[in-house]
Amino acid sequence: MSHHFIRFRDVHYTYPGGYEALRGVSFLITHGEKVALLGLNGAGKSTLLLHTDGILMATSGEVNIGDVPVTRKTLPVVRSHVGLLFQNPDDQLFMPTVEDDVAFGPRNMNLPEEEVERRVSTALEAVGATALRRRRPFNLSGGQKRMVAIAGVLAMEPMILVMDEPTSNLDPGARRRVIELVRGFDHTCLIATHDLDMAAELCPRSMVMAEGRIIADGPTDEILSDIETLTAAGLWPR
Amino acid sequence: MSDRLQRAILTLNRLEQPGGGTDGTDIIAAPDSRCLLVLTLIYLVLMLSVPLADIERVLLFSVYPIVESALVGIKYTRLLKRSLWVLPLVALVGVFNPILDTRTVFTVYGFTVTAGWVSLISLIVRGLLAMQAVLILIYVIGFYEVAVAIRRLGCPAVMSTQILLVYRYLSVLLQQVLTMRRAVDARGYGRRHMSLKLWGIFIGQLLIRSLERAENVSRAMHARGFTDRLPLSRYRCWTTTDSVLLGSWTVVFIVIYLVPLGTYLSKVL
Repeated sequence: MSHHFIRFRDVHYTYPGGYEALRGVSFLITHGEKVALLGLNGAGKSTLLLHTDGILMATSGEVNIGDVPVTRKTLPVVRSHVGLLFQNPDDQLFMPTVEDDVAFGPRNMNLPEEEVERRVSTALEAVGATALRRRRPFNLSGGQKRMVAIAGVLAMEPMILVMDEPTSNLDPGARRRVIELVRGFDHTCLIATHDLDMAAELCPRSMVMAEGRIIADGPTDEILSDIETLTAAGLWPR
Repeated sequence: MSDRLQRAILTLNRLEQPGGGTDGTDIIAAPDSRCLLVLTLIYLVLMLSVPLADIERVLLFSVYPIVESALVGIKYTRLLKRSLWVLPLVALVGVFNPILDTRTVFTVYGFTVTAGWVSLISLIVRGLLAMQAVLILIYVIGFYEVAVAIRRLGCPAVMSTQILLVYRYLSVLLQQVLTMRRAVDARGYGRRHMSLKLWGIFIGQLLIRSLERAENVSRAMHARGFTDRLPLSRYRCWTTTDSVLLGSWTVVFIVIYLVPLGTYLSKVL
């Protein structure tokens, strides 16, 4: 994979119940860009993110991660390059201890145990959770769980980081730590969020979604000052 | 009910890590997970193979949970209390034995003890001992390590993965029940029981939500490269202590199984 970009070409996705969540989504996020994905609940943000990792496959259209089209055959390659952080850390943390959970991804990549150990230590240190190493994930606070979930993704050393609402339900201190962590990640980043302040602070570019379509795509400061677009997306009161 | 559910979830979560079932007591000598799994299997096979009427021999098998719990630092009284969970099930299996089998076995102070009663008591003791052996296994090495041990013993990976996932989803299901029960209690105005209609809705919703939650967990696993095979974590190597532990207990079990120690003891006493 020569370039770590994300490309969607006219992607449609319909859930088995018949609900069309994505209706012709197209965009290109180039290597090293940090992009915010804004929109109301149900706008299609999470569905879009699940396509970047091949968890959901487009009903029609094409998703490319770098030079690799996302298909069932390319999933191992795609998933080793894309780190996907889920909205609810409880869905992500399921191993008996924090270190086992952070090591889950690297072990699935069949890395030698020394390399797994190095990645676990580095990832936990990056999120400031080294002291939680032997703890059980179920007994952690919401902020700690989020940090450990991020460590689990960072341990895979992804070239592209995709995050679903990384600052939701966090206290101000934990929210600030997440923001600083993402700021330090110098690869491609796509963040779905309602946190407009975080989008303004971290992401030079934003895309706005409404009813399964991207209705605006441009510099974040322009998007956030475009009341008409924000109102259309339901992010500004009518 | 919420408190009991909360306790059940905590207990389940504790069982997931080695030594987690001992309520804070450190495991003194945790053997290799394969050693303890094989030891437990040998114990179960030999103990459960003893004829129902041979209650003395079954009682002699209680030496393993008593001694092994002391060796690893678990209070036997706690083990005994937890093993009582299985009592209703085994009692149900043998509840008709005293009625169906009325042959006299012996008489004590004028009371006739029938073969049916002996087999019922034997069934209960076996059930408790089997449960205690399994609890020692899970308390000492944790549920995750049991699944890893199954894999390391050469069983198909799909088997150990399925066992671990069933256990994992049990915890997900309990958490969902707790959340929904709290929602019901919050607007129940002190009413403790739910109507039949509400139970129907509750169970239907529980099924839908659990499936949704399970799907999210599955997605999160696959996003981190899970390929339906449980990755093996760091594990202890087999040591001489493990061989000694397995060998010595196996000899004890075989002696109890083959030699009529009960008869000798009754003669001596």
